[in-house]
Amino acid sequence: MSRLFLWARFALSRATLGELGRLCVFATLMMVAKERAEAAAGDDIRLELHPRICTLSARDKQCESRVQAKWQAPRQESLCLVIVDRPEIKRCWENYSEGVYSIELVFAEDVVFQLKDPELQHVLASEALRVIREAVRYRHKRREPWNIFD
Amino acid sequence: MRADPSGHAAKNSAKATALAICIGILTITAGLVPAHAAPDEDDCKGPTDDCVAVGRWNFSVALGAGVRTNPLVNGKAIPLVVIPQFSYYAKRFFIDNLDLGVTLADSATNTLNLIATPGYDRVYFYRTDLQNLFVGFPISGENVVASRPFLVSAGTPGAIKVPRPAPRITYLGGAEWTFKYAGVSGQLDLLRDITGQNNGDEIRAALGIPLIRSTGTWSANIGFTWKSARLVNYYYGVPAIYAGSSALDPFVKLGYTVPLAGKWRFEAFAEYERLANAIADSPVVSEHHVETVFVGAIRTF
Repeated sequence: MSRLFLWARFALSRATLGELGRLCVFATLMMVAKERAEAAAGDDIRLELHPRICTLSARDKQCESRVQAKWQAPRQESLCLVIVDRPEIKRCWENYSEGVYSIELVFAEDVVFQLKDPELQHVLASEALRVIREAVRYRHKRREPWNIFD
Repeated sequence: MRADPSGHAAKNSAKATALAICIGILTITAGLVPAHAAPDEDDCKGPTDDCVAVGRWNFSVALGAGVRTNPLVNGKAIPLVVIPQFSYYAKRFFIDNLDLGVTLADSATNTLNLIATPGYDRVYFYRTDLQNLFVGFPISGENVVASRPFLVSAGTPGAIKVPRPAPRITYLGGAEWTFKYAGVSGQLDLLRDITGQNNGDEIRAALGIPLIRSTGTWSANIGFTWKSARLVNYYYGVPAIYAGSSALDPFVKLGYTVPLAGKWRFEAFAEYERLANAIADSPVVSEHHVETVFVGAIRTF
């Protein structure tokens, strides 16, 4: 403990407040630059889904469809394709500029596909397979206690 | 043959008139019950026992074993084996098997429709009547009654051959009030022949009462059909021999239904309908009652 305390006193004595401020600004700029670089890389990567929409009729409860996810990048990338809330689905590429992945899916809500870096920390591209439910109106059924089947 | 019971006819006529007045009052009361001018869909959010999707056809078929007795002389019972059912509901218009209707007012508890529905009694005379298709699958094109004239009894001394009535397909049109309150559903139809065949009137009224609800549901239906003299005579009258008066036919039905796997449900019921003297006394009728029983399963599509 005493060694640490002595080191802190030494550091403070060497660094002025102005130097500390410059250090903070520099660190902030570095972080912003890194995020922008990642974002720029993500913008270049195109992710396309086919189909993009599943329409459910009044009688359908869920979609059952083979979905193809296709991505392209201007340079070679290492990345993984994942589906939000479905951790069991993951397909990765190492140093590829494009990739295709097909999967049979059963779903009742929107399905979000994401391309992430290999560590799965950053989203590089995202696309949603939308579920559209046909608008159904309901009304009262006829009541027929007089009839044979009622 | 049986004599025309004119005393019964007069009594029945008076009863029927009183009944018609009561029902008229009920109908007026129904009109006073707050109801929306347009169908109210607010309490219908999805397909339930009470609600149905607008703009879609609904199909179901009952498969089982059952029979409806035929009260006519030489009448053959109507088998209930395959019973298709269909319906279609638009916002106001609906098709319900052979019935057509327009909903004038609708709320969670009350509904007022204008309907057109086939005259019922023809089912006893023709196996090929369309209503038999929706009650029991016709086995062949033969008539429900034997082709020979009705006889009181082949060996009866002095028996007279009675020509077989040949009623045509008729449609009745009129107002229908239905309601649901505390689980009890009710139906009241005030109908008149709109095909010009007999210009008769008919009143159909019934209550559906759930009795026991557990895994399945036991229910009882009670009601009656009132037929005017014109309508009775169109089906059961014999020129120069028999003319009936108006008739009140009460019925009671006990049913049980329970959901099965998927879109199947089990259904069983037994119904007893008592025919009024004005009908039962006709020389073409030999039974005073009609029984219907069915046990089977219903599949919805």
